Amino acid sequence: MAPAIEGMVPAIESSEGNNKMNKGYQYPSWKKKLRGLVVDNEELCRIVEKGIMGLCGVETQAVETGEAAVELIASGATFDIIVIDRFLPSMTGPETARKMREMGVESKIIGLFALYFEGDEEEFVAAGVDDFKEKPLSPNWLVPMLRELDN
Amino acid sequence: MERNQMHRQVSVMRQSLFDQGYLDEQFIQLEELQDDANPNFVEEVVTLYYRDSSRLILSIDQALERNPLDFNKLDTYMHQFKGSSTSIGAKKVKAECTQFREYCKVGNGEGCMRTFQQAKKEYTILKRKLEAYFQQARQSGPSETACRPRN
Repeated sequence: MAPAIEGMVPAIESSEGNNKMNKGYQYPSWKKKLRGLVVDNEELCRIVEKGIMGLCGVETQAVETGEAAVELIASGATFDIIVIDRFLPSMTGPETARKMREMGVESKIIGLFALYFEGDEEEFVAAGVDDFKEKPLSPNWLVPMLRELDN
Repeated sequence: MERNQMHRQVSVMRQSLFDQGYLDEQFIQLEELQDDANPNFVEEVVTLYYRDSSRLILSIDQALERNPLDFNKLDTYMHQFKGSSTSIGAKKVKAECTQFREYCKVGNGEGCMRTFQQAKKEYTILKRKLEAYFQQARQSGPSETACRPRN
């Protein structure tokens, strides 16, 4: 059995026709095939965020750096939703978001933070993100966002 | 039957972790990600947390020995630590991280050190409790609640 580490794919492999009921959660099914990208330097955060996006029916990739995210997009990958951590090692979260917008990315981009620092939200918003959210990435705010994207 | 009794014990242990405020609903999200394909997901993620955080804690300890303190660096480390702790639902550890940030903001080194000692204490207590919980869960064998069935 493959261990649940980097590269793990959650049980939901297709985002179409998913409607999982478990422990009171009803995970949605989408008309479109929704694709997501997680940009986070922490392996643990990447695994968990990718997993949660997957549970919400989004086929998700995860990368460690802003540079890797930009490279992926430059190679032609497209995403419906991109979540970017505030702290990235070289190219910062806001810089990554700005670069994506400059490249013509029209996806929903969400800046994520664990600790709030003054000026972060302004910086992220100025860079062109659609929203700025505190971790953890939660189905509670993710699903309504995805519903909008699906319509 | 003994197996049922063991399952009940595991259930009680699990519930007390929430009732006593050690874990929050994020831990339930991790459980949602556990299924037949990834039956040990929660334990593996928690193991990863303790592995990666131990390095981070060392860095923070070293940074707190510097004179003068580099509050920017401390903030960055703490953001990482809070992010990881948030990902597994480590509620008390998260709270200490938030408190640490408050002291960092005003340049209160004493407060930072005190809070970090408390954070490490909570981190260690949680580790012991989770280790005991996972051990008990393994001994009691699989139950219907342990894995989300594939539909």
